[in-house]
Amino acid sequence: MSSPLLCLNDLTSGYGSAAVLHDISLEVDRARIVAVLGKNGMGKSTLLKTIMGFVRPMSGRIMFGEEDMTNVGPNRMVRAGVAHAPQEHTLFPDLTVEDNLRLGVISDRLFRQRLPEIEAVFPRMIERLRQSAGTLSGGEQKMLLMSRVLIAQPKIVLVDEISEGLQPTMVNRMAEALIRARDELGIAVLLVEQHLSFALSVADQVAMMKLGEIVERGTPQELGEGDRLAAHLAV
Amino acid sequence: MGDDRTWATSRFRRAFIGSLIGLAVVAIAPFFLDIYLTSILIRTLFLAAVVMTVDIIWGWVGILTFGQSAFFGIGAYACGLVFTHYGFGPGWALGALAIGLIAAALVAGATGWLAFFHGSSPLYASIMTLALPIILTQVIFSAGTFTGSSSGLSGFPTYYWSLEVWLWIAGVFLVLTTAGGWLLVRSDFGRVMIAIRENELRCAYLGIPVSRIKTALMIAAAIVTAAAGFGYAAFSNVVAPELAGFQLGTEFLIWTALGGRGTLFGPVVAAIGIETTSSWLSGTLPFLWQLLIGVVFVTVIVLLPRGFAPLCTGLWRYVRPKSRPFVLERTLALDSDSRLGQRASIDTPPLLIEQLSRRYGSLHVLTDVTMTARASQLLGIIGPNGAGKTTLMRCISDGNERSDGMVKINGNDIGRASPHKVVEHGVGRSFQNTSLFDSLTIAECLMLARYRLDGAQLFRNKTNLALSQPALDILSATGLDQRLTEQTKNLSHGMKRGLELAMVLASEPSVLLLDEPTAGLTHAERAVIGKVLSRLTREYALCIVLIEHDLDFVREISDRVVVLHQGEILMEGSVDEVVSSELVKSVYAGHQVEAAE
Amino acid sequence: MAVLALDILTTAGILFVVSSGLLIILGVMKLINFAHGAFLTVGGYTAYSVSAAGYSPWLSIPAAAIFGFVGGLVVERLIVRPLYDRPLDAILATWGLGIVIGQLITLGFGRGVQFVPTPLAGTTELLGVDYSAYRLVVAIVAVLLVIAMSALLKLTRFGLNARAVIMDETLARGLGIDSTRVRAWTFGIGAALACAAGALITPLLSVDPNMGLPWLVNSFMLVLISGVSFPSLFVASLILGGAQVVVSTYANPILGGMTIVVIAALVLRINPKGFSRG
Repeated sequence: MSSPLLCLNDLTSGYGSAAVLHDISLEVDRARIVAVLGKNGMGKSTLLKTIMGFVRPMSGRIMFGEEDMTNVGPNRMVRAGVAHAPQEHTLFPDLTVEDNLRLGVISDRLFRQRLPEIEAVFPRMIERLRQSAGTLSGGEQKMLLMSRVLIAQPKIVLVDEISEGLQPTMVNRMAEALIRARDELGIAVLLVEQHLSFALSVADQVAMMKLGEIVERGTPQELGEGDRLAAHLAV
Repeated sequence: MGDDRTWATSRFRRAFIGSLIGLAVVAIAPFFLDIYLTSILIRTLFLAAVVMTVDIIWGWVGILTFGQSAFFGIGAYACGLVFTHYGFGPGWALGALAIGLIAAALVAGATGWLAFFHGSSPLYASIMTLALPIILTQVIFSAGTFTGSSSGLSGFPTYYWSLEVWLWIAGVFLVLTTAGGWLLVRSDFGRVMIAIRENELRCAYLGIPVSRIKTALMIAAAIVTAAAGFGYAAFSNVVAPELAGFQLGTEFLIWTALGGRGTLFGPVVAAIGIETTSSWLSGTLPFLWQLLIGVVFVTVIVLLPRGFAPLCTGLWRYVRPKSRPFVLERTLALDSDSRLGQRASIDTPPLLIEQLSRRYGSLHVLTDVTMTARASQLLGIIGPNGAGKTTLMRCISDGNERSDGMVKINGNDIGRASPHKVVEHGVGRSFQNTSLFDSLTIAECLMLARYRLDGAQLFRNKTNLALSQPALDILSATGLDQRLTEQTKNLSHGMKRGLELAMVLASEPSVLLLDEPTAGLTHAERAVIGKVLSRLTREYALCIVLIEHDLDFVREISDRVVVLHQGEILMEGSVDEVVSSELVKSVYAGHQVEAAE
Repeated sequence: MAVLALDILTTAGILFVVSSGLLIILGVMKLINFAHGAFLTVGGYTAYSVSAAGYSPWLSIPAAAIFGFVGGLVVERLIVRPLYDRPLDAILATWGLGIVIGQLITLGFGRGVQFVPTPLAGTTELLGVDYSAYRLVVAIVAVLLVIAMSALLKLTRFGLNARAVIMDETLARGLGIDSTRVRAWTFGIGAALACAAGALITPLLSVDPNMGLPWLVNSFMLVLISGVSFPSLFVASLILGGAQVVVSTYANPILGGMTIVVIAALVLRINPKGFSRG
């Protein structure tokens, strides 16, 4: 095996002068799902925003493949093959489903080519291409978000609490979509989550984050199928 | 209190000494200048007084005004029209001056009404001030021979005093108005002006009538400006539409920007320097000089946004490192007349919401929310991101936010009231983000929160702050009371949160809306805030509505919980009912409940 | 009556053409371009130079557009981009730029008034009256421009990216849209539209270093009450331009000159969103 796809090296980051993340080191290999678990306010979203280039790291390095991407803006990251499924500001509510999907890819030719892929996973999105995204239900909006990731076909996608506010059946569909992205499209996933069982059901590797530091990591099996992790997520 | 007096005296003494020096310079100046320069300088001094007011409006309050020339023109035309058409003499002169000042004040009031209302953007206000001189110029054109149309009026009778006398008049006018402006911006009211510039929205939610203050300042500035215009016209014996035109208005801005906005003296010096040089060079290099000014102006805006003045003060600090800017010491005291919690009544619920909806275009953020919050109760609002929690807070505290439904605070329907009116009904709101007023000190922020109750002194500073007991408790628990003169931008996140809460409490609300007050705080800090909130409901009978992500915190302190999901109330009940509810488990972030078990 | 209708239509056309460059810059960049008047003037002088050099006057419009686009890109890079976080300062800087441009033109061409030959002289008969053919051409250009600009925003990739940046810049950046480049292009297009509009209207007027200034404020007002939509700018031009024509015809032209400003100010006071939403 060559080097990992995404490699974070002692990453420290935050807003203003206050660090939210402290010395995070993390690796994501190709076609692997890594889940970072933690309660609210522990720095999970900041981690993804730092990788994307929305937040400048204070120290440490972000390697993508062989390339140092530490101080690179979001548009370079996207062009290199990193997609972001954020927790807030997820969609353009006043644009149609189609335009939201078009914005996921560089060219309209690729958009048409890859549309059948979406149809296979979320047929409902194809039915609603002309509808504006703001009128979709909460679950459908998450489907659209996942569809945009799938149509972009990035090398890696950073997913921010996709399960939040979703009903169990919808959470399962998200899990299926992520696994499909990994197994059939070879997309790596860095997932930040609070939803323990969802994360454990998809992840190859799990890391537990607390107050901006990774306190535990391993495979789901190594971590005893979650009992210890649940303790972290509780008070 | 004794401290108060010495400080005020020293403040006034400084203004007095400064004025004396200014007056002395003006007194002897004519004897060192030739006739040509003196006559240029007289006009320039009048213009400099106008630029001083532009700096107050733009540099201190943050309104980019293109319209100050209109008031200048009104003053000038009051002089020209009365002297040309009606009569000349001391009585006529005073009458004309009065007409000019009153007309300017009325126009400024009307402009303020048009330009400043809750929700008007700074851009819109600027465009309104831009429209003003343009309309006025058209009016002057359309009045034909009465105003002399495009060629203006000239040769009307006026006081042909000697140049020295005119220079003294203009000089005294400039020195006195600038001294007044200096006292104003250094006063407590000046702090309010800075607060409006830095965070207008936050000011409105503290109950400060932002639009009224802006309009009042516009009127005051218009009066000074019209007086300057009157003097200018009486001296130069010519009035023309250019005096009211928007190009002169933009020149005022250019001088202010070059001198350094928000420094008061910088713009005055720049106006005198640039305008004198312009007149000097207008014979030899007219276009090149204008080009140079334009290039320097653009460069300064891009590279030196604070103008040249900070360079000079920086140099001064370098030469005399000991001279630090004076920071006013203020002391805290217990407000014995605090009315905190005294509005509580059993009969009328402090907060009543009926069928409230909020739509953004096709997006339904809140649908048919109906709920009641009672006194002595802490109501937690939970729900996943995007459930509409913050929107609900906004709809309670700003009458213009909701699309449908009714909100009653202490029995008063808020109707379409703007935030500062809703504050008067008894609402206090804290925000999720901690952007306060960066350049103000902690004590000044607290004073700001008391503005609705105590007002702010126009030309003075108050040194003691009377606050209610809970506000004082928060300040001492967080250590903020030891750092009253610190600027808020230097505070830690936790301290900012504490200050935010103390400010809301200082405004003595009966309904407290808190948007994630503990986000990003340590356990110890959370505990302090939790304790204060419990005490507020128990001892002060406050009604607290709390948005919170942290279910454990909600469980510790809430009496009742409302669960919002996709803009609708999913459930309402005691904390235990909600946590054990299957419905909530299945829909709202089942994982959190699962993790907590 | 027919003359009045044609006057309203052509005035609206002129107003629309003159304001459209301002609209696209305001829409995408949230910036009021105070150099807009100067850009119009530059377009006028481009037309003057083209015809003075002996080329067909029709060429002056594309020439002005190209000149404006390139100039707009340079201005954006040097002046607008550093001020993106300070919108009110950007207004001032573009105003300063307007002064600089005005003085440069004065140095280059003198203060005097110049005339540009019209590419289409004479009148044409329409609705039973003889009417200036060139004014009708301007009105037709305006209608074509509404369609073209709407198509640019609704149908092209650039338009989609631009709308994404308007609606949610953070999300747009997260999707790999280079918002800096979108803004640069927008400013270039806005400047090109302004210069082309200047070239287009000069045959109806004369050219002098301050020719753009009177248009500036009316354009601001129209754009502010139109929101970010070209069709609603056209409607606003029609209504307010119509009011201006009516007041000028039946009351007096000076009052007509302030009609747009007064009506727009009142409309904005009552409904800050103007015509853009209901």
